[in-house]
Amino acid sequence: MNELFPIILDVSSYILILVLVALGLMIVFGMMGVINMAHGELFMIGAYVMVALQDVGLPFWAGILLAPVIVGFLGLLIEAALIRHIYLRPLDTILATWGLSIALKQLVVLTFGPESQSVTLPVDGSLEIGAFSYPLYRLILMASSVLLIGATFWLFTRTDFGLMARAVIARPATAATLGIDTRRMYRWSFVIGTALAGLAGALVAPIISVDPQMGLGYLVPGFLSILVGGAGPLAGVLVGGAVVGGVNNLLAVWISPVAAMITVYVIAILIIRLKPEGIMGGRRAK
Amino acid sequence: MRNNLVALLIFAALAASPLVIGSYWTGQLTAYLVYGLLAISLSLVWGYGGILCFGQAMFFGIGGYIMAVLTKGMILPDLTSSYIGLLAAMAGAALFALALGYFLFAGRGISGAYLAIITLAITLVLERLMNNWYALGGYNGLLNVPPIKLTFFGASFELWDRLPTFYAVLGVVTVVYFGTSLLLKSAYGLKLTASRTHPDRLSSLGYSVLSIRLSVFALSAAIAGLAGAIFVTLDGFASPTLIGFTLSTEVLIWVAIGGKEMLLAAFLGAILTRTAESWLSEIFGNYWILILGLTFMVSVVLLPKGLLATPLEWLTKGKGKRSG
Amino acid sequence: MLDIHKLSAGYGEAMVLHDISCRIDPGQVTALMGRNGMGKTTLLKTIMGLIKARSGQIIFNGAPIEKQPTHLISRAGLGYVPQGREIFSDFTVAENLHLSQLGHNTGAVLPLEKIYDWFPILKERSEQRAGTFSGGQQQILAIARALIGKPSMLLLDEPTEGIQPSIVHEIGLQLRRIARETGLGILIVEQNVDMVRTLAEEVFFMENGAIQERCDIAALRQDDSLLHRYLSV
Repeated sequence: MNELFPIILDVSSYILILVLVALGLMIVFGMMGVINMAHGELFMIGAYVMVALQDVGLPFWAGILLAPVIVGFLGLLIEAALIRHIYLRPLDTILATWGLSIALKQLVVLTFGPESQSVTLPVDGSLEIGAFSYPLYRLILMASSVLLIGATFWLFTRTDFGLMARAVIARPATAATLGIDTRRMYRWSFVIGTALAGLAGALVAPIISVDPQMGLGYLVPGFLSILVGGAGPLAGVLVGGAVVGGVNNLLAVWISPVAAMITVYVIAILIIRLKPEGIMGGRRAK
Repeated sequence: MRNNLVALLIFAALAASPLVIGSYWTGQLTAYLVYGLLAISLSLVWGYGGILCFGQAMFFGIGGYIMAVLTKGMILPDLTSSYIGLLAAMAGAALFALALGYFLFAGRGISGAYLAIITLAITLVLERLMNNWYALGGYNGLLNVPPIKLTFFGASFELWDRLPTFYAVLGVVTVVYFGTSLLLKSAYGLKLTASRTHPDRLSSLGYSVLSIRLSVFALSAAIAGLAGAIFVTLDGFASPTLIGFTLSTEVLIWVAIGGKEMLLAAFLGAILTRTAESWLSEIFGNYWILILGLTFMVSVVLLPKGLLATPLEWLTKGKGKRSG
Repeated sequence: MLDIHKLSAGYGEAMVLHDISCRIDPGQVTALMGRNGMGKTTLLKTIMGLIKARSGQIIFNGAPIEKQPTHLISRAGLGYVPQGREIFSDFTVAENLHLSQLGHNTGAVLPLEKIYDWFPILKERSEQRAGTFSGGQQQILAIARALIGKPSMLLLDEPTEGIQPSIVHEIGLQLRRIARETGLGILIVEQNVDMVRTLAEEVFFMENGAIQERCDIAALRQDDSLLHRYLSV
């Protein structure tokens, strides 16, 4: 029991981060049909904001506030300069955002160098109950992720913004005839999606090594989570993230990271092929 | 006709180039020609077949590994013929594509964005697999792959020196380019276009969209496999990077910058981007990749037909006669 | 109030509307009739900005709208009830109505009481999911949704399609009452002659992407040769 518990916590924290990344991707994909291949780099930039702030001596918690703002603002620029022009060409968005991801990656290499960086843990202690001990920051990370996921769900299911967003997803033309500015909804959804990625990157920065290539390792599992879970209801991301993240981490512990990665990708591909609408149903592949 | 003329001129210029560029660059250009072949294969499946494959390097890598394993005599020590290696590389890549294509396209097939993500995932899996397949060299790959040995009527000749290798590779590329062009102008090309633009109408006319998609996927894989097989003989080793993610996305960029709907533009896209990379990466250093990424992005947004295809189309079809 | 001048529009290469011109006065109820494929739906969609006009002008309340995005056209006072109703079936009735309020937040919206007064069934079932409604009830919801933004003109695309005759008549009477009470102008695309006779004051007949003929409803009651010419297959 004492051995299993930390593993379950590790797996859960990975799943939660994966869900945060996938949630941002999903908002953008579900809303506009845009596949944002640069999402992993926005996540990466969120982590680098923490590196930069640590270098200038600002406290960790300031970074947690600033990272989503900075990355969200970057998202706003990207939407205005790039995405806006290719909404109607979904396949081209894959390529264009891929070009963007290469450029962003290289920009970070030029600024911070290609080597990996580390961010110091803001709280060092561990929680100890009897023989069981677990790093405190990881627990904070998990709690914050749960809160963020909850807040995102709340935003999209309980607020006026969410009502408009869901209307635009279901019937964009009809929503516009009711006076809803669909372009503006797209823009702010994109910003929310990118800000989420930035925040996820900032939160996870102290427990991973931060390097310019880290985005891809979250982008592809993030996409697989969406496709496995189903790109319709938001809950699909939770299921998909749990399947992809859970299988990956458990197999990595029990067998090997390589076998885990290969197995989880193959399982994901099989599920996507056999059930293109995803486990939870929703939008069919275009 | 003018189309072929322009292509002939370009191939003639390539054939003459060793006179000007010297031995080192001839060697480089040989490798670029092979990349050009890979670009042709992607242009065929993506630009003409409408299948956006984010993992084209998997076929390149499969061809490369088959060639390496066979000509090194790792399976049959007595049968190390380059010809058999090349054929097996093409056949192996094509068979893999057939199996994968059937899995992806049959029934309620996968297309568009989902296909891009899945092929990307597959290429990542294969790269990881090759990195850990120790019988095939694992991370280090297979070293000492022999050069191609041409034999005719008992005489044999090893492609060891730069110049003969260059011309042999150029010959292969020329044959593949004009062969593919001819095929695309035939009834098959028409069906291929229809399978991309109006699949429903095509199937209502009694054609099988699945078999057209499979055939173009397999043909493109065979060309990519051939390119991979030639490539391993140039450098003398096969490594997991051949099959992987980086090359897959690089070829995508060359083809998109060149022009996916035009074989010649895609081919030149690969050669010119690689050439530019060798020159400009010295001048711009680390900024080169930044420039490449931004160029790629801008060309997708502003010139979705490709940076080279637009002027080439103007050259080949003449002013005012451009349709659509 | 709505003045269309030499309007051409279509899908991709195929043009559907050819230099169409017409004028609808404030508060007037006009029916647009014609066989399928003659461009009636395309005309409504082009007015709403869902299809971009290739050439020509659409003047609404004195301002050109043909280059405006759809949501601004809607906010300028054009309500739209699309073919097939297109209500948000996963939303409740109240959410469907609230959505339209959100879209018009810049201008004053019609109070919900007024809507519930006109269509009591929406109040009774306000928490019900709209997807569980019958076709007629969905149609009522779609009309109510469009009216919330206080449009000065309402565009209706085949509101009687696939709806029971009893409800058709009820909708017709209610729309006529609302039009008289509020001075709402209506442009209705309709195949159902009873509906047209109940509601319309004037009829346009459309063929091959242009308006070929117009007549007032009294004339149509006496002589239905126009109906035969433009509607029979």
